[in-house]
Amino acid sequence: MNSNCFSRNNFIALKFSSLMFNKRLRILNLNNKRTSKSSADDRYIRGYNEIPGPKALPLIGNSWRFLPVIGQHRIEKIDVMSKQLREQYGDIVKVDKILSRPDMVLLFDAEQIEKVFRNEDTLPFRPSMSSLNYYKHVLRKDFFGDEGGVIAVHGENWLKFRTKVQQPILQPQIAKLYINVIEETAELFVSRIRKIRRKNNEVGENFLNDIHLWSLESIAQIALDIKLGCLDDAVRKDTEILIAAIHTFFANVAILEFKVPFWKIFNTRTWKKCITALDTMRNVTMKYITQALEKKLIQTNNSSNENASLLQRILELDPKNPKLATILALDMFLVGIDTTSAAVASILYQLSQHQDKQHILFNEICSILPNRNDKLTTKELQRLIYLKAFIKETFRMYPVVLGNGRCLTKEMEICGYQVPKGVHVIFQHYVISNSEHYFKNANKFEPERWLKHNKEQTHAFASLPFGFGKRMCLGRRFAELEIQILIAKLVQNFHIEYTRQPLEYEVQPLYLPKGPLSFTFSDRT
Amino acid sequence: MRFKYIVSCFHASWKKRYFHVTNKNKIGEYELQNPKSEEEVVNVTFIDKNNNKFTVKGKIGDNLLYLAHRYNVDLEGACEASLACTTCHCYVSFDYLQKLKEPNEEEEDLLDMAPFLKENSRLGCQIILTKELDGIVIMLPLATRNFYVDGHKPKPH
Repeated sequence: MNSNCFSRNNFIALKFSSLMFNKRLRILNLNNKRTSKSSADDRYIRGYNEIPGPKALPLIGNSWRFLPVIGQHRIEKIDVMSKQLREQYGDIVKVDKILSRPDMVLLFDAEQIEKVFRNEDTLPFRPSMSSLNYYKHVLRKDFFGDEGGVIAVHGENWLKFRTKVQQPILQPQIAKLYINVIEETAELFVSRIRKIRRKNNEVGENFLNDIHLWSLESIAQIALDIKLGCLDDAVRKDTEILIAAIHTFFANVAILEFKVPFWKIFNTRTWKKCITALDTMRNVTMKYITQALEKKLIQTNNSSNENASLLQRILELDPKNPKLATILALDMFLVGIDTTSAAVASILYQLSQHQDKQHILFNEICSILPNRNDKLTTKELQRLIYLKAFIKETFRMYPVVLGNGRCLTKEMEICGYQVPKGVHVIFQHYVISNSEHYFKNANKFEPERWLKHNKEQTHAFASLPFGFGKRMCLGRRFAELEIQILIAKLVQNFHIEYTRQPLEYEVQPLYLPKGPLSFTFSDRT
Repeated sequence: MRFKYIVSCFHASWKKRYFHVTNKNKIGEYELQNPKSEEEVVNVTFIDKNNNKFTVKGKIGDNLLYLAHRYNVDLEGACEASLACTTCHCYVSFDYLQKLKEPNEEEEDLLDMAPFLKENSRLGCQIILTKELDGIVIMLPLATRNFYVDGHKPKPH
């Protein structure tokens, strides 16, 4: 083998897509610049205590800052708080001594975030909801046992579960088997909008609930292989119970997580509601999985075919144990409905606020799907590049989850400080992706910046709505597909407007416009 | 006797129904089998960052990442081929690059995040061997996690 085969001359002789080539070269320069700045150098490393940040008071620490009236921060305004902290203290900020929480180090530097991600060992630890953690590991330990799922689970048990399910769930070709199913659900939602909108084409103020129904309907077909019928006129009893439980859970879990955690001491009302909701969701899910399993036992050996559904593939991993699929489905419900719905609400709002961009998107959809009845396939989806750019841009300016984080599993040097094991490092994606340092004209909504032919030289870790690496969002492929298909269908059918007072984004605890989501959906002719 | 027979029949049919499928699903297991015939063989040469070359006998259908694991080549694959990381990043010799299936969008997006990206970069976990790839040369980058530049070798999981 001569080394010549790696030379550039040979490469140029090849017919290689010029688009890809240009993009690669540009990113290449940036990337190599990035990596050459290796961090394990001999600089003087400062101690953990020297990290700047708001000073903690004796006894009550930093908790008071979040109290009503006397404190300067409100949970709903964490976005503003994060920006202030960066301005005041710099790229790394320590917030310690908050009641019942470990120390947090906020990170506003994409390069350092990349470093934390790349340093991940076999068992990355992602801080998550403590109430869910308690539910899975203490309260319902008998059911979950060692198979807690992926949300609020860490260590070997997390790895065991993730290893089992991640291949079928993250492989793009399996998600693509669901294009038709997701498209049908999106079409149902289009008809539902036609039914629920008023005479002036405006939908009700709690349109978010309708989006939740679409999301639940889509995800149930992926996780449980069934049509729940959430978007039908007459909803089945079982489905109604499930919908109610999911709403109760979302309405109450934020209180448990962000307010003073009294539930850790006694059973508060909110806590009881949440537990009942979780139990209901678990029971309904278990029922459907058991049904699917029985159906599968009767069916003969057709499961090894390429078109086997996600559920079939998961059930095959351990044919006698319906728990694996149940727990996965439960996790998909817990974190896959509100997030996807918030993303859709946010994208719709941006469409309404940027009519020129909506027009470009509509034209793209018309050129790729000239007839409204044309069915979507992988090919068309691949060509809907402006749609994807629009979604990416919404996620850049308004990420549904403001930040992500890791609990350090080993001591690490970050931004020149030695950060000990056990500290929660919070990646401030929202602040980073809205900063001029990482994006030109950062406060301008410009989907064009994501198009390949004029892709800006951006840091690859500056906007990471789904995370990266071993603990990347497990539902990513399905979420992306659901969102892309729904938005394509909505823009194809409707001209979307918002005629009321402009809305402000707030942390609720997902980041989306606060206020009545009464969009106007006028039919396109 | 009769009972034993029934049990063994049941066992066999159970095995047929599930075992075959389960086995196929076990990640990286297929790559552990030796090629059954010479026609199946796909020779792969790895060149590591110290310029050491070694050629291994893969077979049609092998996933390059798991083939590398079988022969202890330093190709990590932290996310186990689920397209969530870049630790199986490698360079494909240019004369074979065009013989590979074009990278899908998901792989392209991840390659953007790979350190030491080159024009011939690919993710090892997305390369499935075909007969046409016989003789392919795979070069490993200086590092797949920029902190291992100074000699630390990650273990495959």
